[in-house]
Parts: sequence; C-alpha cells; structure tokens
Amino acid sequence: MITLYDFELSGNCYKLRLLMSILGVSYDIVPVDFFPGREHKSDWFLCLNPFGQLPVLTDGDLVLSDSGAILAYLAKKYDPTGQWFPDDPSVTAEILRWHAVADDITSTSSAARLALGYDYNFDVEATQKGAHRIFRIMDEHLWFGERDGRDWLCSPAHPTTADIACFPYVMLSEEGGISRQDYPALRRWTDRVRRIPGFVVMSGIFPAGKALETA
Amino acid sequence: MPLSLTDPHWYPIASSDDLPFRHVYQGQLLGRELAVWRADDGNVNVWENRCLHRGVRLSIGINEGQELKCQYHGWRYANRSAGCTYIPAHPADAPARRIENRKYPVREAFGLVWSAANAELPFAPFPGAEAADWIALRPMPVNAAPEDVAAALARLAPDDQPAEMLSELVVRLAPVTWFVQPVDSTRAVIRGLHAGRPEAPLTVLRHYNEMLTRLRDRLERAAARKPQPAPLQPVFEQVSVDLATMPDIAVPRGNTIPVVVKRKWQSADAIMGFELAARDGHLPTFQPGAHIDVHLPNGMTRQYSITNGPGELLSYVIGVKQESTSTGGSQVLVERVREGDVLAISEPRNNFPLRRDATRTVLIAGGIGITPLLSMARFLDKSGLPYELHYFTRLGEQVAFRSELEVLHGRVEFHTGLPREASSARIAEILGEYSFAQHVYVCGPASMLETVRATAAARNWPDEAVHFEYFKNDKIIDNSTAFDVELARSAMTLHVPAGKTILEAMRQAGLSVPSSCEQGACGTCLCGVIEGEVDHQDVYLNESEKRANTAILTCVSRAKGDRLVLDI
Ligand code: FES
Repeated sequence: MITLYDFELSGNCYKLRLLMSILGVSYDIVPVDFFPGREHKSDWFLCLNPFGQLPVLTDGDLVLSDSGAILAYLAKKYDPTGQWFPDDPSVTAEILRWHAVADDITSTSSAARLALGYDYNFDVEATQKGAHRIFRIMDEHLWFGERDGRDWLCSPAHPTTADIACFPYVMLSEEGGISRQDYPALRRWTDRVRRIPGFVVMSGIFPAGKALETA
Repeated sequence: MPLSLTDPHWYPIASSDDLPFRHVYQGQLLGRELAVWRADDGNVNVWENRCLHRGVRLSIGINEGQELKCQYHGWRYANRSAGCTYIPAHPADAPARRIENRKYPVREAFGLVWSAANAELPFAPFPGAEAADWIALRPMPVNAAPEDVAAALARLAPDDQPAEMLSELVVRLAPVTWFVQPVDSTRAVIRGLHAGRPEAPLTVLRHYNEMLTRLRDRLERAAARKPQPAPLQPVFEQVSVDLATMPDIAVPRGNTIPVVVKRKWQSADAIMGFELAARDGHLPTFQPGAHIDVHLPNGMTRQYSITNGPGELLSYVIGVKQESTSTGGSQVLVERVREGDVLAISEPRNNFPLRRDATRTVLIAGGIGITPLLSMARFLDKSGLPYELHYFTRLGEQVAFRSELEVLHGRVEFHTGLPREASSARIAEILGEYSFAQHVYVCGPASMLETVRATAAARNWPDEAVHFEYFKNDKIIDNSTAFDVELARSAMTLHVPAGKTILEAMRQAGLSVPSSCEQGACGTCLCGVIEGEVDHQDVYLNESEKRANTAILTCVSRAKGDRLVLDI
C-alpha cells in the first residue's frame, strides 16, 4: 500500500497526487502540517526524511523522498504503458534535465510564493527574477516546440514526468507575484497539462476548458 | 510622445497562433489588461481582463467555445457581445440584460490580432500590407519603454539602408516590418511580420528570435539604468451592485432592432423556421429560454423563442407554427414574409431562466414548445452539463429542428403519437421522485403543462423546481373591480369600471397603447407604475417583478385600491 505524507497546498506533493491520479494508483494520505505547524521539521518526520522536506512516499517498506525521484519511481513501477518515464536513454536524459529545471522553478517561483504567502524569509525580488529567467527559456522552448509539432517539454508525442514536475509551480507563480502574461506558449502548455485524462485540481490550480472536440 | 490611455491607434496585441480554440490569451495594451479568446465560430473577442463580478481575471477563465466562464464564481459572458448570460445564485439565475463586459475593437489580419483602446479610428492596414504574404515571427516581450524599443529597432538597420519609420511604433527593415505593442509605459512586445514564405521557416524564425533576444537584453540593461516612467493607470469599472444582485426587472421600453429575414424554411409539417440576421454587427445577448417580440407587417406583435445556442449572436432562429385557424400573426409571417424582408424585433427577454447548477435537468417539450428548450439544451450541451430532453409530438406531426436536436450530446428522446394517458404515464416515469437540485422545464400546449404540473406535484416536486413558459394566460381574470387611473405623463385621470380593462379605458380616451396578446402573457402593453398597488393577473412578470410593483400589464391587471398612477 502506498502512503503519501502530504501537505495539501504544496505543489511538490501535488505532483505526486497528480501522477497517481493519472495512473489510477490508489494511496493513503498522512497530512503533515507544513504551515503554520512546521511539522516537516519535527522529530518524527525527520526520522522519515532527514532532509526535512515534503513529500515523502512509502510503498510497503520502501521510504522515498524528493518529488522528482518519486515521480520516476511511480512511473517506472505503476505505468504499464511505459510512457511517463520511457526507457529510451536520450529521453531519460531529457526528462532528468527538466526534473532539474523543476527544482529551479521550486527554488524561484515556489520560494517567492512561500515568501509572500507563508512568511518565509526569501529575497522576493531575486526569486521572482529567477522565475522569469526560467519562464522565458521555457516559453521559447515550447513556442518552437509548437512549430515543430511538439506539445510537451520532452520529445515524445505524449507527456512525461517532466511535464508533471514543472507544472505546479508554473501554475502557482501568480501567488509569488510572477505574472505569466509574457509567456503565451507556456500558458498554452499549462492548458494541455490540465487536459490530461485523470487530471486533478489543487487549491489555486483550476481545470482548463474542455478541448474542442474535432470530429 | 508619451503613451496615453486613450490613444486610438490600432496595435497588434497577439499573433493568430496565440489563440488556439478553447484557450484564453492574456494580453495588455496601454496599461489595460486584456482577455483575448477565439470562439468556436472563429470570432476573436478582446475584453477587459476582469470579471465584472469581483474583478477576477478572465484570462484564467474557461473558454467554453461560445461563452467565457469566470473560474471563481461562474459568471458567464457571451461571444461577440460580452453580455453576461448567467449569474449563479442570482435570485432569478439570470442577469439583467445590460450587464456587459467592456470590450475593445478587434481585427485579425496578416497573422496578427489587432486592437485599439477605443473605437475612434477605423482599422487601416499598414502601408504595403496587401502587397505580401506575411508570417508572424515569435513575439518578444521587453521590459523597456515602447518608444525606446522602436528606436532601437530602427538602429538595427545597416548604414546604407536606413529603416523606414512607418509610424512612431512601426519600423520597416525589409523583409520584416516591426510593430511595437505598447503594453505599458515601461513594457512592450516586439512583433515582426516577415514578408513572403521562406523556404526554411524554422531557420528564419530562429534567426530573428536570436536577434531579438540580444536586442531585448541590451534594451533591458539600458532601461534598468534609466528612471522608470510611471505606469499607465486604467480604471476598471465593476458592475453596479444593484445590477449584480437584483433580480431582472428589466422592462422593455419599446426599443426595436431591425433584422433581415435571411432564411425561411419548412422545418416540419406545420412549422416554419426563420433566421433573422442583424443588419450589421451582432444582435443583443440573450439567455437560454429567452424570446423576442416580432413586429409584423400588419401591425401586430407576436412572441417567439430564440432557438440559438450560446454566443450565436449574428442571427436568431425562431420556429413559427402554421395554424389553419389562426387569423393573425403567425399566418402573416408564414404567408407574407419572405427572405430579404426587414422586420423589427424587440430585445430578447427571458421569463424562463435556466439554472445551470442543477444535478438533474429535465426538458419536456410538446410540439412547437421545442423552441425555448432547444436553446436551453444547446447551452447545457456546450457547457458539458448533463440534461435530458423529451420531445412529444402528436401522430402525424413532425419533429421540428430535428437535425439541430440530433447533434446534441445529451439524452434526447422523441415520443411520438402517444395517447393522452400513455403520455401522462411517460411523463411520470421521466420525472421520477424529486430529489434536491433537480429542475424540470416544460413548454408545450396547455394540457401538457397541466399534466406536468400535476404529475410533478404528486411526486413531491416543489414549485420552484418546475418551470413553465407561458405563451397564453389561462388564469381566470377577475375584472369585477372599479378604480381610477391617473396617467402621469398624459395628465389625465380615467375611471375604469368593472368589466373593462385599463387598456380599453385608455384606448377609449384616445390614447394609442400597443398590445398584442391582450391576455397578460406577452408584455407588449406593459407600463410603469408610480403609485398605488397593482392586482397582477398576468403570467408575464415574474414573482419578484410583481412584488416590486413598478410595472403593470394593462390588458389584464387592475388596482387593488381605488387609484393607480401610471407612467404614461
Ligand atoms: S397585450 Fe400581451 S400582456 Fe398585455
């Protein structure tokens, strides 16, 4: 049985809820009071994850942490189609590249959100600037992707864990005072992610309109 | 020249490619935030990026193809008119007709979408626009003053081939014409149009993208060293509280709209379809279930439901029943009115508001009663809400609007030629036991309304969950009272004796007052009330309008006391 140590408003926890929902994996939730309780720094939680970070996922005896690593684990273990984390070495490299970008988005966009909404002591201006730098690159990558017939961050014709990993803190950027107005291709990509069958919402992330049915 | 909020010039605000179907693009022009979306009919809407309700951005709303729905509270706005079509939790579930989001002029041309801060200037293509095929380059947002951006673009020209300044913010450096979209006093978007179809478009696109990236970095470094001009300060007007919270007491004031009969066809045996098109632009927003008054060549008016789906505002489609016994309106329409004729219609009015928060919606139509329900089904269909439509026709009668019904995705059932008891039994089955948030809507012959009303009551459906459209008032009118009416504007006082209507009394006194059904069902004879309490006997005004006591239908209603003051 899978258990997710979860904070509802954490984008990193949401990544896992999202992928598990898409894959139809059932799991239990143990809520962790990240804010304002700071329970992720409590003794019992540090025993589970000495890094003191959410999310943590247990699968039987296995204890896993780091959202990107867990996404890869879930995809490799529970995705019979093998699409979400394909075995192809070059695609694996692409996905890991974007998992790293996802971490950069966390340390910028998510940090700005924590500073503005959760009393965290980060340099708001620096984190916002950092997020804009990444969003510019992503928008360019996605814009040329559209010209090439590529809808997703990586080259396969379907989404991968890279899209899941980068998605939440792009969507939540406004909570950190980071507008996405200058990134139309990035905004279109978020529509596509929100139309993946099995998509679930979290507070601040709404569903997109239904795609136009083309008969 | 400093940027101005009222600058009437047209600027590009998006690329055509930025507007795939069912997406809402977020743009900005001269400080105003824009929600830009393409409806399924291809029309591009450029609106103020705020829901009138709480000012939430519409660019995070849902593009439903014909309507844009605000994510937060579910207010909906129609394609083209930006008229509000639905307010959840509104007492009547329908907005006043005049709630419209602010919209800006729009034109799609040369691969770009253009808009202006106001409609003072007509759209004019840039010099040489028609001479080439254009491809839009990747837009480049820049955090720098628009005039600095334009100047920097001009400086990109080689010495021997200076750039051509087509206007202050348009620079030609063949083969590319550069447009600077003034986003705000400190922000701009560079939009390039490349003439001709290059052989390797991607290479060209990448080349210019790299060039612009370098230019942007330079401009932003320079801008950071300069003092920043103050941002433009547009005002966003929220809808007035009473419009947003009051029920619809919109009283038609006799404004008519000319329409052209674009198409007239036989939809079923005794039913003609009419398509009434706007002469230019679009017709007013309507809500599902709404009707219009059609003014006929013989001076009569008749009410017909609009069958259209959401946001279809270029024309209204109505269905008209040919009745062999009818002497009046419908016959004139069917026999005398031809394609190309011009008719006057009223603004749409809705006595039959559709809730869109039901867990189960049942639509029951009989014969020509299908028309308002077809519109409702289309709205529900486009919003992906579940519904069932039951259409009862008599033996030998044909199904009207069949092809329109067949493309719906909900449950649509045709019940043909059932004898009276069998249709009652079927209606009972359809209704089932009532449970919370179920709603049924019925339109058809009086006998059918009665059956549904009785059946629903027997199955514990509360009155609020059973919705009727009246085209006839079959209440028994009590005209036994006598009283005086003072006509405020005409400065006369009339006595209305028992047995006579206010309308008749006014006509006898030489006033010309329009009327149509003369049974309190159509609203044509409506008149404002200044003083006195009205004994409403019509089926036209809804309960809250009746309680408000500000309007009266003079063909049936009377005074409760001995005096009424009317605004006429
Ligand atoms: S004439 Fe139709 S309501 Fe009075």
